[in-house]
Amino acid sequence: MTSPIVDVTDLSHVYMQGTPLAHQALDRVSIQVERGECIAIIGHTGSGKSTLIQHLNGLMRPQSGKVIVNGLDVSDPKVDIRLLRRQVGLVFQNPEDQLFEKLVGDDIAYGPFKMGLPIAEVKERVEWAMELVGLSFDEMKDRPTFALSGGQKRKVALAGVLALRPHVLVLDEPTAGLDPRSRNELLQRIRRLNVEEGLTVIFVSHNMEEVARLAQRVYVMANGQIACEGTPRHIFGNSSLLQEHHIGTPEAVDILYQLREQGYAVDTGSFLPEEAAAEILNLIKR
Amino acid sequence: MEKGLTVRRIVIAGVLGAIAILLGVTRLGYIPVPTAAGNATIMHIPAVIGGIMEGWGVGMIIGLIFGVSSFLNATVPLFKDPLVAILPRLFIGVTAYFTYVGLKNINEYFAIGAAGFIGAMTNTILVLGMAVIRGYMTFGVAATVALTSGLPEAIVSVIVTLAVVAAWKNLVKAGKQKSKISG
Amino acid sequence: MMSAEFELSRNITIGQYLPTDSVVHRLDPRFKLAAFVVMILAIAICGTYVGNLFALAICIAMFWVSKIPLHYGLSGVKPAIPFIIILATLQLLFYGEIARGGTVYFQYGFVTISSESVRLVLVSAMRFVEVIFLSSVLTLSTSTTELTHGMERLLGPLQKVKFPVHAFALIITIAIRFVPTFAMEMEKMMKAQASRGADFGTGEWWRIIRRTKDMLPIIIPLFNVALARAEDLILAMEARCYMPGASRTQYTHYKANGKDYAALIISIIISVIMLYIPW
Repeated sequence: MTSPIVDVTDLSHVYMQGTPLAHQALDRVSIQVERGECIAIIGHTGSGKSTLIQHLNGLMRPQSGKVIVNGLDVSDPKVDIRLLRRQVGLVFQNPEDQLFEKLVGDDIAYGPFKMGLPIAEVKERVEWAMELVGLSFDEMKDRPTFALSGGQKRKVALAGVLALRPHVLVLDEPTAGLDPRSRNELLQRIRRLNVEEGLTVIFVSHNMEEVARLAQRVYVMANGQIACEGTPRHIFGNSSLLQEHHIGTPEAVDILYQLREQGYAVDTGSFLPEEAAAEILNLIKR
Repeated sequence: MEKGLTVRRIVIAGVLGAIAILLGVTRLGYIPVPTAAGNATIMHIPAVIGGIMEGWGVGMIIGLIFGVSSFLNATVPLFKDPLVAILPRLFIGVTAYFTYVGLKNINEYFAIGAAGFIGAMTNTILVLGMAVIRGYMTFGVAATVALTSGLPEAIVSVIVTLAVVAAWKNLVKAGKQKSKISG
Repeated sequence: MMSAEFELSRNITIGQYLPTDSVVHRLDPRFKLAAFVVMILAIAICGTYVGNLFALAICIAMFWVSKIPLHYGLSGVKPAIPFIIILATLQLLFYGEIARGGTVYFQYGFVTISSESVRLVLVSAMRFVEVIFLSSVLTLSTSTTELTHGMERLLGPLQKVKFPVHAFALIITIAIRFVPTFAMEMEKMMKAQASRGADFGTGEWWRIIRRTKDMLPIIIPLFNVALARAEDLILAMEARCYMPGASRTQYTHYKANGKDYAALIISIIISVIMLYIPW
């Protein structure tokens, strides 16, 4: 059996160590992600999600515990950080803020150029990345970045990270601030990246619909620890779990729970809108 | 340009002033290039940009904020003297403004770059000038520093000013530029 | 620790305010500022040994009066000590020509060390320490709101010559308010750009243009974020009908009492004493 592509063991992190403002952000956190999986990390604000993902590409080094990504040990002072950051593409929240080049093509090409690749390969990667996010290479590559809509800018930012050809894509709130249509489109594209291109995807989200739609497995974090882990069906179907950790539910599941309370026999584990709709239809038919 | 301190001018002065302060207290203000001081500073650039974008009044106010911040954060005796730290800085945005206005009819890019250059040199020359007058260094030393430190700083200033102002003013003419990966 | 590379917010100590309940803390900020300015001016002018020793003693006493531990002031001076020494040495070696007068102790080539140049060196050092101490006491005993209000009220009369005092105070307030916000944005920006392969500060030291361009992925977004926040704030202010230059009433009122006047008078007396001591 191959080892997981992301292997975090007993990771701990304290901010402002040694000062009166010290805060334990991570407390012996362990997660494993297999190659090609699509994982969600959810939890209330301050549960440690951001701190955790910043360890995955070496922005932070483990204070204690181990983080091994694709065979690279993040604790090792001699580890090739540049290589790590190419293999793990970390996309921050509102990534459109980080565009700085005047033209779309230049901004996406920034990463590959920094890698020292020849222009022919840079061009190829940019084209590939743009296609994956849904931007027409010929139309958009010479467009000024300021003239784009928020959604388009986000695509450019994402393409910029994809152009590095990472093995693992880590996204922090990928659809925050997008209108519903753009959100759906982006989620579909992320799924494509996971299924067709074989990218391992780890994403942090507050949006339960998104989690329900994309994730194969979910880690729930609370107070710097992993509170529990399971499939979306398992997590959303378990009402005591949801209440204990203040996890919201997708609206579809919410409706099912309300029906259950009223005495109707529905399977609350049907977390996808289509499944939930099917459950309700069955009820009506009976 | 409208007269006086409009809401826009007040806010822009405040916001650029915040950047001036921020650049001073964190290491973002320093670009590691070869100068006598070991680093070229870009802390004067908000004043230059404020001068170009919103006029000499805003430029002067941001310069004042830069000067006071420099005074309060200084560890070098030179900058603990308000006449060296504050007074010269008032003029950075002013000279930048006049340079820009004077040259913009020739070519916008040239005007912005020149303003960046002049603003930086104003900072260097006036600060060093005050330092000599107040007895912190001899004229000879000041002249050397002006050349070895001031010139690289001015070059840095041109690059950054052009990049930022061009972005703020949306100067890129759509369709007329090609990105590096085309062709 | 790797993360320290990105933790900018730790160093933002603007308006570091230490609340103790001393007389100095409770002074009207207008009078505090005025007293501060008077004393700073006196320090800048005074060039005598005894005058500066007196000033130094007063500055140290200020810490005691405002119940602030002296080490706050010292921590401001400590990083400067190497610079003071270097500057003093340079002044000693090269200023003999300029600071003429007094007895000459040593002469060799262009190096002249006279009593005047020694005075210049020692007085500069003392002045420096005095200014640091005094500014520290001021900022540690006065909150930034108070400082801004004090400045605004003091400059108030300038309104009569059409100097936009209120607008000016507002600019300062806006600037101070945004510093921590921008610091956090910048931290995030550095991390985001580092995540896509940006590197800052490597590359040959002589390639000025290259190294400057390497910093652009942080500098440009910084200014862009600032502009975006500015546009939002402008909109918000206009939506609330803010008119620059319109007459305004004030929310906080400061009433001066005896202690405030006393503080100002004391500072004037101290300054006069400093300037009139002959050595």
